[in-house]
Parts: sequence; structure tokens; C-alpha cells
Amino acid sequence: MAKTILSVDDSASMRQMVKLTLSGAGYDVVEAEDGRAALAKAQGLGVNMVLTDLNMPNMDGLSLIRELRKLSAYKGVPIIFLTTESDAAKKGEAKAAGATAWIVKPFQQEQLLNVVKKVLGS
Amino acid sequence: MNAQTDPAQTFREEAADLLAQLEEALLGLEQAPGDHELIDTAFRALHTIKGSGAMFGFAAAAGFTHHLENAFEKVRHGDLAPTSDLIGVALEAKDHIRALIETPDEIDAGRGESLLARVAELVASAAPQAPRVPSPGKADPASGPATWRIRFRLAQDALVRGTNPLLLLDELRTLGNCTLVALTEGVPEMEDIDPTGCYLAWDVILTTEQSKATIEDVFIFVIDDAELTIEQVPAGTDKLGEILVNRGDVAAEVIETAASNQPRLGTLLVKDGTVSEDRLRSALAEQTHLREVEGAKAAAAPPPAAGSIRVPAERLDDLMDQVGELVIAEARLKQLVATSHDPQVKAIAEEIERLANGLRDTTMGIRMVPIGSLFGRFRRLVRDLSKELGKEVALTMAGEETELDKTVIERLNDPLVHIIRNSLDHGVEDTVARIRAGKPPQGQVHLSAVHSGAQVLITIRDDGKGLDRAGIRAKAEEQGLIPAGTDLNDNELFQLIFHPGFSTAKQVTSLSGRGVGMDVVKRAITALRGTVNVTSTPGRGTEITLALPLTLAIIDGLLVRVGNGRYVIPLSAVEECVQLPIADDLRHTGRNFLNIRGELVPFLRLRDSFRSTLAADPYQKVVVVSTGERRIGLVVDQVIGDHQTVIKSLSKLHADADSFSGATILGDGTVALILDVGHLVAASHAQELRRQAS
Amino acid sequence: MTAANDNHSFEALTFGLADEIFAIDAQAVREILDLIPVTEVPGARSFVGGLINVRGKVVPLADLKVKFGMKPSETNIDTRIVVVEIDLDGEPTIVGLLADKVYEVAEISGASIEETPEIGMKWRPDFIKEIGKRGNDFIIIPDIDRVFASE
Repeated sequence: MAKTILSVDDSASMRQMVKLTLSGAGYDVVEAEDGRAALAKAQGLGVNMVLTDLNMPNMDGLSLIRELRKLSAYKGVPIIFLTTESDAAKKGEAKAAGATAWIVKPFQQEQLLNVVKKVLGS
Repeated sequence: MNAQTDPAQTFREEAADLLAQLEEALLGLEQAPGDHELIDTAFRALHTIKGSGAMFGFAAAAGFTHHLENAFEKVRHGDLAPTSDLIGVALEAKDHIRALIETPDEIDAGRGESLLARVAELVASAAPQAPRVPSPGKADPASGPATWRIRFRLAQDALVRGTNPLLLLDELRTLGNCTLVALTEGVPEMEDIDPTGCYLAWDVILTTEQSKATIEDVFIFVIDDAELTIEQVPAGTDKLGEILVNRGDVAAEVIETAASNQPRLGTLLVKDGTVSEDRLRSALAEQTHLREVEGAKAAAAPPPAAGSIRVPAERLDDLMDQVGELVIAEARLKQLVATSHDPQVKAIAEEIERLANGLRDTTMGIRMVPIGSLFGRFRRLVRDLSKELGKEVALTMAGEETELDKTVIERLNDPLVHIIRNSLDHGVEDTVARIRAGKPPQGQVHLSAVHSGAQVLITIRDDGKGLDRAGIRAKAEEQGLIPAGTDLNDNELFQLIFHPGFSTAKQVTSLSGRGVGMDVVKRAITALRGTVNVTSTPGRGTEITLALPLTLAIIDGLLVRVGNGRYVIPLSAVEECVQLPIADDLRHTGRNFLNIRGELVPFLRLRDSFRSTLAADPYQKVVVVSTGERRIGLVVDQVIGDHQTVIKSLSKLHADADSFSGATILGDGTVALILDVGHLVAASHAQELRRQAS
Repeated sequence: MTAANDNHSFEALTFGLADEIFAIDAQAVREILDLIPVTEVPGARSFVGGLINVRGKVVPLADLKVKFGMKPSETNIDTRIVVVEIDLDGEPTIVGLLADKVYEVAEISGASIEETPEIGMKWRPDFIKEIGKRGNDFIIIPDIDRVFASE
């Protein structure tokens, strides 16, 4: 059974790129454009991994992470966030909120796949 | 000072070897561009030629080679790809280097310039290759595999946060040989366990070629919150005590004390609480791991570089002659000792026989060279020819390990070159014609060599259009080789192509077609006392088989008597000896066949062949011999026994005595002739055919 | 007509075949052997019908009588084998020559060398290099290389 990834980003092009990359690698991708939509989707759906941007309207990434960790179903689910080089502080916060791993923007498709594989297994 | 100690000459020989290696490596690289070993071989050859060349006065060659070496340095680093273009230029450059070394006075400087220009072009146009995928790590070639001790304990909430320690362990496993130990000390009592908590720690002993940075990369997402140590384990440690001390689990003095109190260090330390069970188990695991790694290293260690020396061929011939004389002398000694009753003398004679045989085998082995060394030269030939003719041809080989006497191999070079050229020029069709004929576009030329009885059979087969029977016939009649309308079977027809001046090629190309090739081939093979056979199927291909006697200088022979004369039959051709049944013996006319276990085997009375006048022995013996394809029985008066036969060739004066392939000297000093089994079998067969036809 | 009147002389080994005396350049002679066992080669030309063992080498034994149309004769205690080095197809080759009797090494001087009389020759002129004289006897100096080169 294919693993399911929840992809959260307000940028349509980003979501498109992630979807193409990951579904091309055999994963099922569910999309949400902000934290709130993501949380709603998450509660009704079991996913294997969450990929989220930090900067989003209507609930940013940090909050999403915290909220997800409160759900018992999401204890143990890897959460990967997107960060920029300059955002070292944000990284710390996200980790404290319960994130598992991160990807630095801008990134290549290869790099995305590598991290997903590292965190989720193949 | 002779030629051997002149450094310039030594360099020339060395260079010839290296250039041959270079060519082989380049040809191999064309098929397998990623093969690093081949790249290294090519680079090293160029490097050596440049270095030594400069030292021994071959400045021009060294200077020219320098540029090529640079290019291949880039290939080694992955900055320049070994494309077909580069290889093509390199091959031409190799020829030029050879010319610079061997015929420096006839050098075409312009050619050298243009070759270098092409190399420079290729080097300039190659951009340094960008790494395509973030690779797992860069192996540091200088260090080789190292063993690391990795200890990590994740934060208690790691699992909650989605970290899967199993994935970490899996990734470590991809880096190399791993031994894992889970440490359970941190697991609390049952009532205190939080099921979502992570209490385990792991010790991983990893032997890898990757760098420490690569190992750290595995833990990139957990490194801030986990306890992680990565330490290198010095190689060669495999004493438990040492390991424990290295790991800091135990102080060195403690080890000494404990060790002096037998029995087992580990048990002692755990018993008196110095080392926890966990830690001991882990240390033991490390010990096992290290021992395995050492074991594997020893097993994989490359064999000590096989040294070799160059020996002038004459010296080898002299050695062979002397060994031959020793064998003859030993045979005479054996004869004399046979009548002696002195056990000591007999014992020594036996010892000498054993030593002489050993020496014989070793010396013969020196002269034998695998034919692969000859076949290998043809890859370049086929490649160049197929490009020149615009045909796609693949060369395959089998039996490269088949060994032949060195001198024979040298003399086979030209005939084989002729045959292969003919195959490519006239046999294999061009791509268009092949497709039209429903054949695969790439033509096949196959070389094979195999021992068969006392011969070596070398076959050259192509899947081209085959020989043109009608054309050959017409040409032969035109040249008056055969009267018009003669009935000829395929074999006889094809043998005509070996006549001097014969050629049915409509177009005389620069390669062949002047009819010079095939008769030269036949003469060369005949001079080696071999035969050439041709079979062909129109549209399917042609196969040429060369059958050569194994001209081993010393062979095992069977000594027989026919009338007053004694003869030697090569033991490798002998299948068995039987008695000739009286009934068959008395039959004077008609076919000579005897029944051996249900099979009819034709026989040849050597008394008749050799016109012996002595009265025949009452019970004639039959020595059944075989050429691999056919067997016949040779009827003799007496089978005397085994004989170490030192083959002496017959002079040209006896070239017409074709029942014999050579002569030898017996223990009593007389000369005995060695039978040419192949010839006798063929003669008997021909006789049989004639009998059938009449 | 063969050799002209050369004013050279050379040392030659003289030996007898039937009633004639032959001489061969001493430089070409390797050794002289008593009659040793000869191995017959079935199917070979009668001129070189046998093989002998000379110090471990297998050497063809030739009977010059065949080439000079003389009757073959039985061997006797005087029979010797003269081992010589000849030029065969450009290669130096060792062969043995049967001799009914071996005389001596004599200096065949220029003065005694005369042109080959053509009349009444019983043997092929082109096999003869020159005719010499020793006392009252004519000595035939064969062109050894040519003799062996012919079929």
C-alpha cells in the first residue's frame, strides 16, 4: 500500500512541484493550502508523513505542528517543515514544537526525495 | 654489454608492453566507459612511458605522451569523459608514441601536432561534471576502510516526534559492514515505562570507506537532541581487554589485574561489577566485528604482484635442448639400471627420473603461452577494419586460455590476420545488405581455440555471405586449375582458393583481394605441419579451421615395433591397444575393419605402409589412435612401452615423408621416427573413400 | 662446362665411393664416424633413406652413389660416415654422407685442377664442381649444395 503524504503550502506552484515529485516516486499526496485546512484534513485521514511550510495564513506551520502533536494519532508521524537559510531561529522553534526534520529552501527534487526517504524509509 | 643491459633497449621493450596494455585498456574502455580499472591502467601506462622516456633519451616521446597523460588524469578525476572520440584519438596517439620510440627518424611531425590539437580540443570542451545526485558520501580513496564505533541514544520523546531509529540503523547499514548492539540499561522498570518513550541506545560498529562526515549525516535531524559519539577504532585491536580500555569502559590497570586471574576476562569483569553486561556484550560484538574485518581483509588482499622477467628466446631454446638431452640420458640410464640388482642404484635412478620429468614439465610450461595474447591483438584490427569498411562487426572469442608453444603463436599472427581481413572484406556484408537478408545488422566474427587429441584447432567463423561456389569454380576453370566440368566436392573446391594468384574478388581493395592472402596462409600453416579446412554455407557464413600439431618438444610416446623398425606414437593420440583378431588379420582383400565393442574401426597395417620385409609377428597388435574426429587402428608387430620422447624435427630433406612428424633418440642411442597420427588417419580415410567410390 | 681453371688450392677430405675418389672441402667436414645403426625412413627418397644419431642430433644419412648413378653396395668394415655441414635452401644443415672408404685430408692444389671433361661422363656435369688429380687418380669434387638441392 502506498504511503500517504500531507503537503501543506500556500504557494500553488510549490504544492504542484511537491505533488509531482512525490507522486512520481510512488507516494500518495494530499494537499492543503494552510494550517487550518491541513488540520481539518488530518483529523479525518491517516497519513504517513506531513510536509509543511512555516509561513502560511490562517494558521502558520508552527501552530500546525503543535496542534498535530496533540492528536494521539499523530504521535510518531514524521513532520517535515520547510525553512530558509537565514531562519535558524525558526528551526529551533519548529523542533521544539515537535517537528522531525526539515528541508532548506530552495531545494531540488532530488533533495526532497532524499529527505523523505530518510525520514519515512522507502 | 649486450642489448639486454642497454637501458634504452629495455625501455623500448617496456614501452612496447605498455603500449599494448594501453591499447587493450582503451578498447575495453570503449565498451565499458565507467570501468575505473581500465582508466587507471591507461593512465599508468602513459605515466610510465612519459617518466622513463624522459630518462632514457626519448624526449620527443615523453613530451608527446605528457599531454595524453594530462588528459587521462582528468578522466581519472571524472572531469573528462572517455568518449568514443577521445578513445579514437588516444589510439591514434598510441601509434604515434610507438613511432616516436621505434622509428624516431621517420616521424611525421604534422601528425603529432594534429593529434595533440584534437586532444586539447576534447579536454577544453569537457566541463567538469556536476554531481547529479547528492551521493551518500565521498569515499576518501587514500584512507581505505576504517572501523568506527558509533554510540547513540535518542531523546526520550524522539519517537513521538516521528523519528524512527530503525531507519537510522538501516542507513548506517548502507554505509558498510555493521555490527549492532542494543543497549538496554536505560530501560526502566515495567511500571515506569512510557510506551511512547525511547529508552534504548545503540552501539554500532561500522567498517566503512565513507568519511566521518557521512556518518554524521545520518543523524542530521536528531543530532541536536541525541547523545551521539563517533569514534574511530584503531585497526588491529582484537583483544577484549584492549577494546574495553579503548572504549573507556574499564581502566587499563583493572584489565591487567583481571586478566592475570584467569579464566575469562569478560566474565570476571562482569562478575565483579566492573563492567556492565550491556557493555561487555557490546565490547564482545566489537571484537567479533574487528576479527571479521581483518579476516576479510586478509582474504581479499591482492596476491603479491606476480613478478616476471624477460628472457631472450634463445636462452629458452638452449634450456629446452639441454632438458631434452637430460631426458634422453635418463632414458638410457633407466635401461641400464633395469638389469641391475643394486637397490641403491635403482632408487637413485628413479629419483633422477622423477626430477627429469619435473624439469621437463616446468620447462615446457615456460614456452607455452595462452593464445589469448594473440587473439587480443585482433580486437584492434577488427575495430579499425570495420570502421574503414563502414561495416558493423563484433569480434567474439572462446578458448583464449588454450596454450600453444610460443614460436607457433608468433607464426600464426600473419595467417590469422589474412583470414580475418578476408572475412571482413569479402565475407561479412554491409549493414544494408544484412538487413535485407534478414540478418542482424551487426556482423559476427568468432575466434576459438581448443585442444583436440594431439592438436590445437583454431577456428575463424563469420556469419557473412559465405563463399561463392560458382565464382570459385569459374575462376578455377579460367585459370586452368581444374578442367571444365570436373566433379568436385565442397572440400576440394574450397581448397582451390589456396592456390597462388587465386582471387574471386570483383573489387581489389587495399586490404585483400589480390589473391596474395590465402596461399600465404596455407604455406604458413603447412610449414607448421598443420592443415587448413574450409566449410561454408551460402548466405550463412564461412568457417575456417586450422589444425596444428602441438609442437611440444617433449611428449609422452608409445614405442612400437613394425618389422625391423621402431616408431613412436604420441600417447595423447592413443586411445587403447587391442590384439588383432586372427580372422581380421587373415582377410587380405576388401575392407580392413575390426570390431571394437560394437563399433567398426578401420585399421592400417603399418607393415604394408612401411614396406617391411621381416616376417610378421604371429599376434599383431592394434594401437587405436584418434584425431578427435576419427579413429583408426594402427597394426604393429609389437607394442614395446612408454617412452619419454624428445621431439627432434626432421630436416627439409625428409619433408616429403609425411607419415612422420619428427624423430627421437631412444635409450639405446638409435633414432626412431614419430608417427604423424593426423596424416595417417587422413590417408586411411581417403583410401576408404576411394574404395567406396570404385 | 663447369669450373674454369682457378688457381686456388684447398684442403679436402678424400673418400671413395665404389671405384671413384671424391673430395669435399675439409672446412665443411664436422666429423667422421664409424658405421653406426641407421634408421630407415619409409617413404623417403632413396638418396636420403636413413637417419643417424650424431651426438644427440638426428641427422639425415645420404648416399651420394644414388645421385651419381652408381650401384648401391653393401657396407663393410671400411664404411664410414662423413658428417658435413651443407647449405640447404639458405640454411646451414648437418648431413651424413656414406663413404665406402675414407682416405686422407689432402691439399688439392690449383695445378692439378682441370676442367671437367665432358665426353664420357657418366654423371651429371652440374653435380660436379671441378675435377682434381691426385697422383694418377682423378678426384671428383662434387657441388654438394647443388646435389642436395635437387629433387
